[in-house]
Amino acid sequence: MNRQVVEIAGRRLSLANLDKVLYPAFGVTKAHILDYYRRIAEVMLPHLKDRALTLKRYPDGVDREFFFEKRCPSHRPAWTETAELLQDDGEPMTVCLVNDLATLIWVANLASLELHVPLARAASTETPDAMVFDLDPGEGADILACARVALVLREIISRLGLVSFVKTSGQKGLHIYVPLNLPGTTFEATSTFSKAVAVTLQKNYPDLVTAKMAKEQRTGRVFINWSQNDAAKTMVCVYSLRAREKPVVSFPLSWEELENLAGKGDRERFQVGHEEAVRRAEKEGDLFREVLTKRQRLPHL
Amino acid sequence: MAGGTIWKGAIHFGETSVPVKLHAAVKEERIQFHLLHRSDRVRLHQLMICAYEKKPVPVEAQTRGFEVEEGKYLIVDPEELEQTAPEGSRAIEVHEFVPAAEIDPIFLERVYYLEPDTVLAGYGELVELLEEMAIAGICTWTMRKRSYLGALRARGGIIRLTTLRYADEVVAVSSLGLKEIPVSEKELKIGRDLIGQLTAPFQPEKFVNEHQRKLQELIEKKARGEKIAVLRPKYVQPTASDQLLQALEASLKKVA
Amino acid sequence: MAAQGIWSGTISFSLVAIPVQLVRAVTPGRVSFRLLHSTDYSPLARRMLCPKEDAMIPPEEIIRGYEIGPDHYIPVTDEELESVTPERSRTIEIVEFIDMEEVDPVYFDRPYYLVPTKGGEKAYRLLAEVLHRTNRAGLARFVLAEREYLVAVASREGALALTTLHYSEDVLPDRDVVPKEGKVAAEEKRRMKGDIEKMTTEFAPDKYADARRVGILELLKRKAKEQAPVEAPAVAAEEGEGPPDLMAALEAAMRDVKKDR
Repeated sequence: MNRQVVEIAGRRLSLANLDKVLYPAFGVTKAHILDYYRRIAEVMLPHLKDRALTLKRYPDGVDREFFFEKRCPSHRPAWTETAELLQDDGEPMTVCLVNDLATLIWVANLASLELHVPLARAASTETPDAMVFDLDPGEGADILACARVALVLREIISRLGLVSFVKTSGQKGLHIYVPLNLPGTTFEATSTFSKAVAVTLQKNYPDLVTAKMAKEQRTGRVFINWSQNDAAKTMVCVYSLRAREKPVVSFPLSWEELENLAGKGDRERFQVGHEEAVRRAEKEGDLFREVLTKRQRLPHL
Repeated sequence: MAGGTIWKGAIHFGETSVPVKLHAAVKEERIQFHLLHRSDRVRLHQLMICAYEKKPVPVEAQTRGFEVEEGKYLIVDPEELEQTAPEGSRAIEVHEFVPAAEIDPIFLERVYYLEPDTVLAGYGELVELLEEMAIAGICTWTMRKRSYLGALRARGGIIRLTTLRYADEVVAVSSLGLKEIPVSEKELKIGRDLIGQLTAPFQPEKFVNEHQRKLQELIEKKARGEKIAVLRPKYVQPTASDQLLQALEASLKKVA
Repeated sequence: MAAQGIWSGTISFSLVAIPVQLVRAVTPGRVSFRLLHSTDYSPLARRMLCPKEDAMIPPEEIIRGYEIGPDHYIPVTDEELESVTPERSRTIEIVEFIDMEEVDPVYFDRPYYLVPTKGGEKAYRLLAEVLHRTNRAGLARFVLAEREYLVAVASREGALALTTLHYSEDVLPDRDVVPKEGKVAAEEKRRMKGDIEKMTTEFAPDKYADARRVGILELLKRKAKEQAPVEAPAVAAEEGEGPPDLMAALEAAMRDVKKDR
């Protein structure tokens, strides 16, 4: 095994197998992945901060088996920040908090291509900072259908006084975030609210939208998965890579851009690769920044 | 008196085999509480509720799953799990001997006294060697379908078997994020003198479990219908960093 | 924040008081499984049922009780429990120092670390350093989760390590285990010593893995190849709509949106 010791922000880190190919169809190696996360860190870290990380590790590449880990590996470096969470059965669990560049690189070095985090911070696991709509196209539907649903959804909730933001899932769907950032917000409130929105859309666009989990209901429709508004669930973090054939990133879009893309009807243009992601983030900054700061209250609850 | 025999086996290394019986070294009895409903004082029963159906699930409809991905589980058959249980054996297999002082106490878990079983074969010799050489035998054994890591040590003419924690179960000090903060030699000297003044021989018998007795009294009082005065916990004002030297000096004056 | 504490308070000796948090020094290493409902694979959660009312009881309505007879309990509140030794529930007061070498390891129960909180860093460092240099430990009593513990606070690699100790009344005497005067055979001892010397090395705890844990992980790996995982259903019920106010507001918004398009 080839190892290389580097120093990142004063932390020493031993990196292994840098030339290992993790996306074989595109020849993308672990070195490329580490470089991606190093360059995207500035915009990504605020979204990971103080949240319990779920690792999805692909040590032998995206086409091989992966390891799902909620526990922070016990071989973590000394300086890794962690939090202790209580599970349903009362057992404590130590989780990683990716609060700095060195930890992000360490996690990426474990071949954790995908970084998933909950909607609440580890210090307040019952208080979501945002409400989310996970738009997932069923068989026969595509990201263009998702975009149409997203645009209607945005208009409806904006009429209720709520500002929302959208990112690609990095797979076939879109994620809409409604920042809340108010102490006292509960998952009960966000799931009740998001479900009501999903049900309303389903009622008005029965051929386009479903709010139901069942696979057969989803055929040809966009499933608005409101049940992600749950303390036990995680969402793929904005700017995280996805473990698909192509190194695609979950990337934020402006609403204007989404409208544009929906109008052009080109599915491929929704896929933001890792190189493009860095270029765009350097130019546009973090389009998702207000998800962490904007304070909004859910009306009519 | 030491607890009854828990298990029988034989210490094994090289050509040596010493048959022994395990006895518990510690026995704890504590006042047990039950959970009651505040309003009607009825004892509560624990139920396992299905998060989806919101209904209680009887034991026979419960199964165990290993979470492989969010909300996705590999169902594990209890029988298959059983098969991963180590083979039963009667051997306490010693893998190596190490200087006893090298074992950080943080690894020590539970102590058993070992009694020679039937014949004295090798027991006396092993006790003497463990004591004279100041070593511990690192061993593994299987007891009630669980495998254990342990240390064989001698004390007071008796061999003890202490279960050891696995290395990855011990939290590293380095993960605590402690900062290096300079402390002056003067402060260290006073601290040292103070601790010297306050040092006494270790006499564990001095410390009886008063708390259990007081708790018992509290329960009896309540049973008689007496009112309990609720006392607030005491908070101590922390010593400010720039007052540390003064506090140490004042302490030393007090005890000297 | 590095690790989150399970208790916070003060550790004191003589006139010095240090604000600290208590954190676990050991974490369980076993493979953890979730209990699932065998019909729908939904995870199970622990709840408490009042058999008289046949209703689930939320945590704020639960108190502790001591059984004095069949179905007869003396209820005890948390405040009353804390009143038993109020001075020990927020303070670890070191009453004396001891030489660590005098402590029979049979007394060690469960290890924790103390971590200084704001303002306590320097006094913490001083205490840890002095305990390290003198190989001493502070003895204290303190109450955690309604139990009072005798604890030893010693230094470990620059940190304060707190170990709960068994009470001497709970440590069983080993007299009746003492072998009846057996003769030690010099020849046998020499042979055994030869074996031991060949096997003597340094203590390296990393070498030993839990055989059971390794076996379970292998089983899981095998199963993952053979069978697809089952999926838990969405937790919140899919039936029903939402609060009438919200539904009305959404319908109104929907009408506006359709009109504009």
